[in-house]
Amino acid sequence: MSEVLDLPTTRQEGWRWADMATLEAAATSAPASPAIDPKTLFLDTLDGPRLTFIDGIFEPAHSRPGPVQVTAIGEATEHPLGRRAAGEGWLLSLDKGAAVPGIQIVHVGSGGENHVPARIELGEDATASVTETFAGSGWANRLTQIVLARGSRLMRSVRLLQTDGFVSIRDEATVAQAASLVSVFLGAGGMGSRIDGEIRLAGEGAYGEMGGALLTRGSQKQEAAVVLRHAEPDGTSRQVWRAVAADMSTASLAARAEVARDAQRTDGEQSLRGLLLNRSATVNLKPELEIFADDVKCAHGATVGELDERALFYLQSRGLPPARARALLTHAFVGDALDRIGEEAVREAFAADADTWLEEAL
Amino acid sequence: MLKIENLHAEIDGKEILKGLSLEVNAGEVHAIMGPNGAGKSTLGYVLGGRPGYEVTAGSVTFAGKDLLDMEADERAAAGLFLGFQYPVEIPGISNVQFLREALNAQRKARGEGPVSGADFLKLARSQADLLGMNQEMLKRPVNVGFSGGEKKRNEMVQMGILGPKFAILDETDSGLDIDALKAVGEGINRIMRAPDKAVLLITHYQRLLDYVQPDKVHVLADGRIVKSGGPELAVDLEREGYAEVAA
Ligand SMILES: Nc1ncnc2c1ncn2[C@@H]1O[C@H](COP(=O)(O)OP(=O)(O)OP(=O)(O)O)[C@@H](O)[C@H]1O
Ligand SMILES: [Mg+2]
Repeated sequence: MSEVLDLPTTRQEGWRWADMATLEAAATSAPASPAIDPKTLFLDTLDGPRLTFIDGIFEPAHSRPGPVQVTAIGEATEHPLGRRAAGEGWLLSLDKGAAVPGIQIVHVGSGGENHVPARIELGEDATASVTETFAGSGWANRLTQIVLARGSRLMRSVRLLQTDGFVSIRDEATVAQAASLVSVFLGAGGMGSRIDGEIRLAGEGAYGEMGGALLTRGSQKQEAAVVLRHAEPDGTSRQVWRAVAADMSTASLAARAEVARDAQRTDGEQSLRGLLLNRSATVNLKPELEIFADDVKCAHGATVGELDERALFYLQSRGLPPARARALLTHAFVGDALDRIGEEAVREAFAADADTWLEEAL
Repeated sequence: MLKIENLHAEIDGKEILKGLSLEVNAGEVHAIMGPNGAGKSTLGYVLGGRPGYEVTAGSVTFAGKDLLDMEADERAAAGLFLGFQYPVEIPGISNVQFLREALNAQRKARGEGPVSGADFLKLARSQADLLGMNQEMLKRPVNVGFSGGEKKRNEMVQMGILGPKFAILDETDSGLDIDALKAVGEGINRIMRAPDKAVLLITHYQRLLDYVQPDKVHVLADGRIVKSGGPELAVDLEREGYAEVAA
């Protein structure tokens, strides 16, 4: 099977925490009829365009794509997983000044592998927000290429809620002068995952953010591996990631920030924090900074710990049962990352997903 | 109301309380004074049920029940309140969210219905007002960035909201400015001075006792109560020091 799939191996640098075994098992699992009604996965409070993909195939019955086009996406990538996502996918291409908030895309898998490419191109000063939800099972593989013209703004929120299987995401973004990209990911399902991304701040004063929270339990493994490149001066970047691991699970965060020689006055922040809910769980953190400019401000921190025993007792001494005290503290820990989501309805939905996970895990 | 008999407790295998006995009746305020490291905060933590504080001998009954048999949250629901010497900062959880959940968790444990959001806010605002705490601070994360004195005031606001039967206040007076000391002293009287309530005040100074008149004063040294007396004992202690008075 591997000769057909030709997947990266954990011996390769950059893939050593990847859960390829779960990916392969998901890819070869037999598709069944999906038991999930896609309607339940859309947020009612958002009334923007909606697209549903069932096992990677566009499903018009549960969609109202509006300005989002379903079409062949041709752009090539070298990325070993991303390049598999070729063929029909979705395209959001906005003209100068256009605004499309509240776009929702739902992916439901039933087993086997499915691949969908996507492309987001925002013209000057255009704005959009896209929320994606993954549910069901199987291997869902996605490539999303993002091109933001000067002054445009994209808010991207992605939640991985598959029951099992694997979700791999590959984002490739270019952010022009004074444009802004904020991407927030939440891994709160039972699947394995790899969130893989590269953001290039290619214009002066560009803003790029990629972060989120991975919640793992059982024997699950999730990881994020992201790179933020500052190519031009006066850029700002944020990488705020939180990992919460319970049972025997593993959550891994590798985040890299690169500041080119010309990218003077870069303001970067990288914060990777892990929380172990059990001693048998694992959090891997790999923070990396590579700075060639001399006038930069790059705050960074990477820590792994357990819930603060003093804080737990403080909450409990006021009457909160221990499980609730743990849930509140863990919720607050994850909140650092999820609070970056700009739209209240989306932020609240993601927080609720995290709470559901916490109630089951604690 | 609270009866402690021959209490022995250790932390990490080190014995800190070494046979402490004390009885506080409903309607009374007792003050505990004593040198640094004597075990005063340890007593508070043991009564509060902090994990890691192991009771090796003795008993504590609270309102007729075996206190040591209860979890920390059960003790709170039973009416026990511990005002911390060093209140803990909790980023990401607002004071109001925390206290509303805490109050409703206590009520649920007692078989009472929850307090609505609106009623809770009214209660929280009035308690903050009475203690001279800025309303804005109710919305801020629990104790984060609060000054030492603000944290102590916040402890009293929490006590006002939760309405306990028995409060152990561990150096609630340290770090308070003169006005705050008065507000806290009056707060303690207002919230806790009742025939069915009682207070254990841990303090180093007479000045709080000027506002909250104790019925009894005890000296805790080396894990035991070594001397007990009336309010005048606090005055003697302040004048002459522990070495003289408790010798
Ligand atoms: N985790 C611990 N491990 C070992 N010893 C401890 C621990 N915590 C406290 N102690 C010791 O227990 C003793 C009593 O401490 P405690 O905090 O109860 O004193 P206290 O009477 O409240 O003092 P203070 O007036 O300074 O607040 C001290 O000697 C302290 O060092
Ligand atoms: Mg103390």
